[in-house]
Amino acid sequence: MWKRVLKMFIGLYVPLFALNLFLYYSQKAKQIETIMERQIRANTMKKVSFEEECHSFLRNSHYWATLKYPKNFDPLIEHSSFLRSYLELIEDITFYDQFRFIDLEGKEFFRAERVENDSIKISVLQNKNHQPYVKAGLQLKRNQIYLSQISLNKENGEIEKPHKPVIRTVAPIFDNEQNQLGLVVINFKMKKILDQIKSIVEDKNVYLLDEDFRVISSNTIKEDLPYESGNKNSTIDGILNTKAITHNRDSAFVENGHIWSQQSINLNGATFTFGSISNLPTEIVTPSSWIMALEIPSKLVEAELQPVFESLLTFNIISIIGLFVFSHTYQKKKLEKEHFYKELESKNILLTRSKEQLEENNIEVKKINNSLEIRNKQLSDFNYLISHNLRSPVTSMSVVVEMIRKEKNPEILNQLLPKLDQVANSITNLTKDINEYVSILDNKEIKLSNINLTDLIEEVKHEFTETLLDDSDFEVLLKLDDWNQITFSKFYLQSILQNFVSNAIKYKREEVDSYILFESAIEDNHKVLYVRDNGIGLNLNRHGDNVFKLYKRFHRNISGKGMGLFLIKSQLEALNATISIDSEEGVGTTFKIKF
Amino acid sequence: MNTKPNILLVDDDELYLYLMEKTIHQLSKELVVSTFTDGEQAVEYIAECTKQNLDLPEVIFLDINMPFLDGWGFLNEFKKLKPKIINNINIYMVSSSMRNSDIKRASNFEELTGYVVKPVNKVQLAEIFKKIYQQNW
Repeated sequence: MWKRVLKMFIGLYVPLFALNLFLYYSQKAKQIETIMERQIRANTMKKVSFEEECHSFLRNSHYWATLKYPKNFDPLIEHSSFLRSYLELIEDITFYDQFRFIDLEGKEFFRAERVENDSIKISVLQNKNHQPYVKAGLQLKRNQIYLSQISLNKENGEIEKPHKPVIRTVAPIFDNEQNQLGLVVINFKMKKILDQIKSIVEDKNVYLLDEDFRVISSNTIKEDLPYESGNKNSTIDGILNTKAITHNRDSAFVENGHIWSQQSINLNGATFTFGSISNLPTEIVTPSSWIMALEIPSKLVEAELQPVFESLLTFNIISIIGLFVFSHTYQKKKLEKEHFYKELESKNILLTRSKEQLEENNIEVKKINNSLEIRNKQLSDFNYLISHNLRSPVTSMSVVVEMIRKEKNPEILNQLLPKLDQVANSITNLTKDINEYVSILDNKEIKLSNINLTDLIEEVKHEFTETLLDDSDFEVLLKLDDWNQITFSKFYLQSILQNFVSNAIKYKREEVDSYILFESAIEDNHKVLYVRDNGIGLNLNRHGDNVFKLYKRFHRNISGKGMGLFLIKSQLEALNATISIDSEEGVGTTFKIKF
Repeated sequence: MNTKPNILLVDDDELYLYLMEKTIHQLSKELVVSTFTDGEQAVEYIAECTKQNLDLPEVIFLDINMPFLDGWGFLNEFKKLKPKIINNINIYMVSSSMRNSDIKRASNFEELTGYVVKPVNKVQLAEIFKKIYQQNW
């Protein structure tokens, strides 16, 4: 039962489960796609805001680069008044960290530093000619602005503490005669901008990477520019296979369950028009290229997919329960049905069997009925025998006795007396014959044995001298192919065979070679014995009724008591066998015995 | 009365024949009795009489149970001969059988005048003869 339930359940559930899996994965892919789209949008926003910050720096630089400086510009002494109003302006622009002018030799000729949040101080000049941004700045043409990498601020070769991430812009400056005076270098504070970049959107991780995939800033790392401050988590290698991230294109992808989105920021060579449209476009020169990367950790992705998973799980659990209950009910019903059919079948078999039994009983009853009928007939015959055959001599005797009593003539008396003798004789003979018949009728326990018919016929044959002579004109023939063994009373069968042979010899035709043929056969599942002869035969039209009756004789010139066939029939019927006759005068007789 | 046999007894019981003959003669010495011990002989005799236009017996006492041809067999043969017979022949079935089946079977033969159960005594015979020989008895 459970096996069948399980089988059916699996048969139903497996396709459903496959469908579920398909649904889950398509749903997941869709979800991831949606997440990616969202992520790309968020990333774009971050990138754009970063770029805008950069533009704002560049615009500031452009402003300083396009100022018309006096000839032999000396901001500290001669032209300090020229600069003052500008410095007051700078004071309020809090992302200015340093504001410097550097001459064409790389030496500072003006340096203002932010000391407090809202004050700027002019400080000691330094030689910066070894600095890469100075070298690069001196290569700049007019209308070019240099944007440096983001780095920690260093003063006199030492990283300033607390760490101060800065970005520098460098632009050439000219006097009113278009002679280059040097460079304007502005350090912009990046902390605020980096903090803004790091601000988490929907629990995503944000990375700002430089061109070497080093982390400039990330919400996952406390410090900015960790590689510069000696932090080991400085590259993205530990988190992501860097091959996946490239400078070349913006992309979104899934790796190890994390969803990544990267967008590169490369401003080198880009041109902008600051201020009025009539101004010449400015070209940006920068060694930097950044990558803005957003990561959704697998945990988060999973969390996003959780509702889908949960709903599918719920659906599955309900399906499992539903299908199981369905399978169970169905199989139970089916089993009940099968059981019912089986029962029906067994009942049917039982009915058939009882029907067969009934038929068998019927046959048995028929058989018994048959034998009772035979018995009845026998008893009736016996009754007749007594009432007729015995009664006639007895009545005759009473008549004789009556006559004797009345008769006085001694002569007649002498005639009458021997008649009594005659009566007595006939009564004696009759009682003998009746006795023989009664012994057959009354024999309740006839000893049955298995008889070989061939042997028995051979035995009987030897009792008749006619059959023994070599030149005999009478032959006993056997054709016992179908059967030659039978269970019967040996005594009866011997007597029957004797009577047949005796009759066949007695009633043979003189003009032919006579024979008696015993032929066995099977008819309707019964053993049948045909006894054929080519004797004088019998007119059955005349004698048919009387053939097997007692004291019936049909041939005047042949002696006989009229008992042979009567006994044969009685003995056969005593053992439920029947006999019939077919005969033609001058041709022969066939007896058919059905056992 | 002529001397032709006017009574025919057919029975295989010779003692019966002897006794019947004796009884009949006790009734009338004038009656001529012939006997046969089986039906076959009786039929042959009647056939012969018909053929040669001899007088036939007036009464036949016929036993049922006989060898060669029994009473019934005789009646069947007699039926065949009857169209050739002019005289009225009274046939009495005489049997020691009181079986109903025999009596019933006998009643189906219109050739039969009566059915008598053995033993036939003098009084019964007298009555039978009275019926047949009314005028002459």
